Amino acid sequence: MFYRQSGIYHTRYEATRRLWPIPFERWQVGVILLLVLAAPFYLSALYLQSYLLPWLIWSAATLSLTLLMGVAGQLHFGYAAVMAIGAYSAIHLVRFGLPFEFAFLGAGLIAALIGCLFGAAALRVKGLYLVMATLAMQYLVDWLIINVPAISGGAHATLQAPSARILFFSLENDLVRYYFALAWAVLLTVFLLNVKRTSFGRALVAIRDKDYAASVIGVNPFRYKLLAFFTSSFLGGMSGAVLAFCFYRAVTPEQFSFNVSTQLVAMVLVGGLGSVIGAFLGAGFVLLAPMILTNIVAMLSDFGWLNVSVNLLSHLPLMIYGALILGFLLAEPLGLAKIYDNIRNYFLVWPFKHSRR
Amino acid sequence: MTKRTKLVRFTAALAAVCLTAVAQAQEVIKFALNHDFTKVYTFGAVEFSQGQRDYLTLLNEEGGIRGHRFEVFVRDHGNEPQRGIELYTRARDEGAVYFMFLSTPVANALIPRVLQDRMVLGTPLHGRGDAIVGEVFPYVFPMMATYWSQATRLLQYIDDAQGGLKGKKIAFVHIDSPFGRDPIPLMQKLAAQKSFELRTFAYPSPGNEQSAAWSDVRRYRPDFVFIWGAGNSQIVSVREAVRNGIDPAKILSVVWLAETDMKNLGESTAIGIKRAEVVPSGRNHPILQRILQKVVTAGKGVGDPAVVGNTYYNMGVADMLITTEAVRLALDKFGPPLTGDKLKAGFEMIRNFDAEGFLPPVTITEQDHQGGGYARVSQWDGKAWVPVSDWAASYQDLVWEEARASAAKFQQPQ
Repeated sequence: MFYRQSGIYHTRYEATRRLWPIPFERWQVGVILLLVLAAPFYLSALYLQSYLLPWLIWSAATLSLTLLMGVAGQLHFGYAAVMAIGAYSAIHLVRFGLPFEFAFLGAGLIAALIGCLFGAAALRVKGLYLVMATLAMQYLVDWLIINVPAISGGAHATLQAPSARILFFSLENDLVRYYFALAWAVLLTVFLLNVKRTSFGRALVAIRDKDYAASVIGVNPFRYKLLAFFTSSFLGGMSGAVLAFCFYRAVTPEQFSFNVSTQLVAMVLVGGLGSVIGAFLGAGFVLLAPMILTNIVAMLSDFGWLNVSVNLLSHLPLMIYGALILGFLLAEPLGLAKIYDNIRNYFLVWPFKHSRR
Repeated sequence: MTKRTKLVRFTAALAAVCLTAVAQAQEVIKFALNHDFTKVYTFGAVEFSQGQRDYLTLLNEEGGIRGHRFEVFVRDHGNEPQRGIELYTRARDEGAVYFMFLSTPVANALIPRVLQDRMVLGTPLHGRGDAIVGEVFPYVFPMMATYWSQATRLLQYIDDAQGGLKGKKIAFVHIDSPFGRDPIPLMQKLAAQKSFELRTFAYPSPGNEQSAAWSDVRRYRPDFVFIWGAGNSQIVSVREAVRNGIDPAKILSVVWLAETDMKNLGESTAIGIKRAEVVPSGRNHPILQRILQKVVTAGKGVGDPAVVGNTYYNMGVADMLITTEAVRLALDKFGPPLTGDKLKAGFEMIRNFDAEGFLPPVTITEQDHQGGGYARVSQWDGKAWVPVSDWAASYQDLVWEEARASAAKFQQPQ
């Protein structure tokens, strides 16, 4: 019913190859885009600045990571380090006097180069061994940031984001920061939706499925594995810069610690490997569920319905959160994106029961 | 009832609700006292928070301050900056005037925000050491001796009471994190000035495994050992030190070593170990007696009554003592409703406040947000921490030189 396909005839190749061939989905995307564009006008500062903004930025980071983990099949457990390189590079480049636009690109490039260096391990090792190599990256970068005051910004290891302008708009303004992060997330979304349909994307998928089979059919694994790390780290580095300039405005090593890397991997996995909508759902779930659960549990306790110690009260959201992750992954191992897909498939043929694949 | 009267009644009810809300906002002073109850600061967060809330309950029982009662907003932020930011924004929108998060990463992430919003952020015993510079951090109040002042106090103690610093070998064993490295540059400067030898030994975070560092320490044969960690890493440090044959009386710790840690370690494992302290421990004080009487025995306390008087508990009480004193001064001078700017001015009016002898004299000015930097040394006798020195502020000229240099770097990009 909702995703009505009857009566829609594609008479041109371009029409069938559109990103959203079903009109209802185009409407859906349009409405969501309008909603987020108008968000500053109906959301309070709290929900705009502390929920939607980080959600967008983390979704962008998850999209960059899902390109590597989901599309190209290369595990990365040090992605927070990639973002850290981007964040610190951007800040230092702006402090050095570069305009923000160039610093932003530079952050991506530096992250990409260093990311490639560690990604080179992927040429030799796969799976769990690659996890170890990327973990090494996480710890090395952490150590370097903490131990080199020139990078970390002195004894307190906190570096303020300098004031900067993006295309004549000052990033000191809340609205500019929001729209910049939104633009970045939209850009990455469009990129990721399209990349899967390019020869580059198909080559990555071939590598993911079996690298020597890919090399038999003429895909150079050396080149494409490195390219996957390069592209993903480039985007990840820039997302790190967005995180630093638009959300935190001051960077410390703890913001990019190993925990954050595991959170990013969780965002990709809970959302669904390689899925674009999954990146948004996963990032939203992993990032926002702890906050929302904490507030719900605290509210119950404020009403006097939950009379427990503050210690248990703080751990309750964590327990619920863990149970939710388990529940979702048991119900649908392919992640939240697959749950969405199941619902979509159901409505695609509703009121009938079976979908045509 | 017609539709119209219904509507009128509904509007009236709504207006009444709004009005009472406004009236309450004038009478109730809201504090956001969020903690990391679940990740890194778990060693002290529960007791610290209990101390804060019990003291505020006591104040409310005694009629509040000038009739204003206190309401607290306590949540867990799990040491994650993004959750801290969410809690800060939420509490700010609900009208809180004082914020404390007891987590360095969260406090650091909030500093740009509180400076912009003109809201008061308390950073006792956490956060940036250079936030004591009031001109650069006008809305941030460390209000107690920072890690730098604790380190200098311990060195001064060696200089005064342990045979002088000159020619001594001091090992600085620390967790490899910004917090652990924090006092090193300052101590190196002092080492050059007072001609003692300083060597640093780092162990990797989170510090559950330190044996490599400690065998190096043993080989170095230091005269004194400083341990600079928190929570479990401190317990491991003390255990390793004792195992490597270091006399506990030669070990000096940062403020994070308390009754709970000693109990976890085994109360008789390290008798004689010393630490820097910024608030006394124990219940032997009129304020704690009042808390015991009016809050805990009255069944209004939160949490385990046994921890009342523990170091971390008393730190929470001290934080609230200083802050409510600032509230009192601000209300006296400017009257309600309390705002961030008024509270800031209130803090900066505190002169020689010692809370009936509970605290060293605290004086906060527009320039000095540390409150003087007083600390003392206390020693573990197997049951309790016994003070072995007087309250004093040590080498503050050096502390301030370091803080000003660091704060200047903070200001640079703006």
